[in-house]
Amino acid sequence: MEDIFSYRREESFNAKEGLLKDWKITVQPNISVAGWPADAGSKALADFTALEDATIIDRLKNAGADICGATKMSEFGFGIKGSKAGEALRKKEVNAELVLDLMGEARLAAMRANVFGFKPGYGIISRFGLIGLIPSMEACGILSSEVSLIGEILKIIAGADGKDFCLPDESLLPAVEIIPGKTKVGVIREAVQGLSEKENEFFTSQLGKIKEAGWKIKELTFSEYDLCQSVHNIIGAVEASSCAGRYDSVRYGKRAPGTKNWNEMYLQSRGAFFGLLIKSYLFQGAYFQFEKYSDYESACRIRKHLVREIEKLTAQTDFLITPVRMPKNASTPLSLTETYDQFAATLFANVAGLPALCMPAGENVCGIQICGARLCDLSLLSLGEYLCNQGWGK
Amino acid sequence: MEMEAVIGLEIHVELNCATKMFCDCPNRPGDEPNSNTCPICLWFPGAIPQFGRAALEKAALLCLGLNAELQPKSAFDQKVYYYPDLPKGYQLSQAHLPLSRGGWIEIADEQGKPKKLRIHHIHMEEDVAKLLHEMEGRTPISLVDFNRAGAPLVEIVTEPDFRSSYDAMEFLKALRAQVRYVGSSECSMENGTMRVDANISVRPKGTDQMNTKVEVKNMNSVRHVGDAIAHEITRQSACFQSGEAIILHTRLWDPEKKATLPMRAKFAGPCVPDPAVPVIELSAEWIAEMKKRLPEMPAARAARFSTQYGMTAEEATYLSAEPDVALYFETLIGEGIAPRTAMHWLTTQLMPALKEKKMELASCKVTPSRFAQLLSMLAQDEINANAAREVLTHLFDSDETPDRIVAARGFKQVSDPGALCSLIDKVLAEQPAALNDLKNGQAKAIGFLVGKVMQASGGKANPKMIKEMLAGKLDSYNQ
Repeated sequence: MEDIFSYRREESFNAKEGLLKDWKITVQPNISVAGWPADAGSKALADFTALEDATIIDRLKNAGADICGATKMSEFGFGIKGSKAGEALRKKEVNAELVLDLMGEARLAAMRANVFGFKPGYGIISRFGLIGLIPSMEACGILSSEVSLIGEILKIIAGADGKDFCLPDESLLPAVEIIPGKTKVGVIREAVQGLSEKENEFFTSQLGKIKEAGWKIKELTFSEYDLCQSVHNIIGAVEASSCAGRYDSVRYGKRAPGTKNWNEMYLQSRGAFFGLLIKSYLFQGAYFQFEKYSDYESACRIRKHLVREIEKLTAQTDFLITPVRMPKNASTPLSLTETYDQFAATLFANVAGLPALCMPAGENVCGIQICGARLCDLSLLSLGEYLCNQGWGK
Repeated sequence: MEMEAVIGLEIHVELNCATKMFCDCPNRPGDEPNSNTCPICLWFPGAIPQFGRAALEKAALLCLGLNAELQPKSAFDQKVYYYPDLPKGYQLSQAHLPLSRGGWIEIADEQGKPKKLRIHHIHMEEDVAKLLHEMEGRTPISLVDFNRAGAPLVEIVTEPDFRSSYDAMEFLKALRAQVRYVGSSECSMENGTMRVDANISVRPKGTDQMNTKVEVKNMNSVRHVGDAIAHEITRQSACFQSGEAIILHTRLWDPEKKATLPMRAKFAGPCVPDPAVPVIELSAEWIAEMKKRLPEMPAARAARFSTQYGMTAEEATYLSAEPDVALYFETLIGEGIAPRTAMHWLTTQLMPALKEKKMELASCKVTPSRFAQLLSMLAQDEINANAAREVLTHLFDSDETPDRIVAARGFKQVSDPGALCSLIDKVLAEQPAALNDLKNGQAKAIGFLVGKVMQASGGKANPKMIKEMLAGKLDSYNQ
């Protein structure tokens, strides 16, 4: 088991009375639990201990949850290389896992572990105490084999927080009833392109099942779908570069020894302790900040446009359904491009800030993701539960 | 060729909020190093900035006090650079959408004519930490004090409307007065709550070219700003005349050498919109509410003083420059003191005494009510001016009322005609030459004799009565 966990709670634990009493939940070390190591998977933060509970941890503890350990993670949660997210669930060690979703990490991990992986919409969950990398697009994901538990956890951790002023003054909308004849689902044509024959066959058969059950399926066109990846890549890298600016070895974190002045200290500490993938991402971000700022501005403008276009798509239907390719277990380190390619089907929900749920994929050739409009997180989870009860996705 | 300077100022003003801009740490940079810090201002992993309402209100009042227009929408950006005084690799500042645009300050130019100097915009930003480099000893070390990191600042960026160091100095004095009025900052260049950078270029007079500018920093008084600008104008004019190219860079003012010295190439880093601080949207109602909170500003107050109390423009400007002085003055008037007496005693006695004792008007023992009691005794001839000055020195150290000080120390003025008459006779007996002058009708002797009688009375005699009585004697001798 130890190869899954980076930390396991050793101190005794008296669960508070609450809705989540006796439910075991793991986090990753980029989610602050007071007194626990919080290195965010990076050598740059080796030996850093969280001072306070993240707001979500505080709320979960108050609801009686047993925060029982932290699983190994990729550096700063970027990509899934090195991450053991989902493994504790697969081994039925815990009831739920919390995993930051920067571009689909929580969802892909869940698919691999044959459980549900949910990314809440933007601005629903406090980011206080989350050691993030891409503030405008990431959200704390929830993994579980039971959608209803994801819903319970979401209701407990969501909502305004005096420590995170970025949460808009909005509440989740109540779940709507799922009625097969009435509920409309949309399929984005461009999201289906590029599937292998087998993947396509599987996805089409799943759509066939819900058609038979009387659901309305609408084919949608989103010609700029591929731009989501470039936009996420540019804006994500710039935000990551800013976010990682604080890891300068001045106040905490590891410092390279024997440097003569602080310029050397910065260069050598950051050079020695950041991993290769993160370093190339930060380099890319700094490049857009210092050398190609106008391209970054263009990416921001395009994002605005994409968000509007995706809103139009969600307005035409109740939910979107897209296929998600199973991530391959690469043996060599991935390049930035390869990393991004893994998330080609999930990152549009991060760009647009929409809630998205990946269904358990088991031995299937292809995963399936459903996605709803902003603030419709609870309805989306209802749909997931409904489809699961119908034996869909198998 | 006659040259002309084109000058613009960038002025950082530290707001006097109780807490820092993005956390609840006390805004007291002078405390024990690193005592006023928290995970937010040290930018620990997982920290999120919490923009405070107090900073917004103080900044907004400052903008309104400088006639600037608050923007309905403003936002913070990340000014990216890496330096140990910056705990997160960027400074939160408003580069793209500032809190206010426009604005102006009116000064009297060198000929006394009104001149409006325009402000381009005012934005909010956080201060950075303080670095201390210890170069002595075997290993030089750099120490960082984060008490100042995250302290609330505004930066006032002017238009290049200034043509001389006089303009800049007058602008800064007026700015300081106006900001003190709205209560947003003490604006002390000495204590670093106001820091001024000047951008200076020169051109042949009469042209409208904008030549390469040089930025000058490190002036810690208004006078230094004036000196640095004057020096830079001379230096650049000489470069221009001799055909030497002027390069965009930053120079430091060296007050001892009285010269500007090159420091570094001017910094220009990227400014990326910050995703963690919410966009600031100001409603029309909120702006109206802030406008209601604006006090009467110095220029308006000076105009009122001038008409209401019959002062010259200079006197009125002097008395209204500092809000606490103006308030003190009007409190004296409220206590029944005549405006001219109040102004005269405040400006020629109390203020110089405070300066000498290095005390503040607001915190000294000479409260307006005690000072007013003293001035009333003077007005009612209970004491004379000499005694009043003496009593004032006692007011600084004792809590006793002025009349008790007068009684206890025998400062009471002698106004009894009989006592004064015998004093005069005694002095005349001692001064035969002056008596002779008096008898010969020479009025100039009166002044000399008043002084002698005052001396003989130990300063307590009523000089007005002595003068009248001596004049009576002169008349009687010469009838």
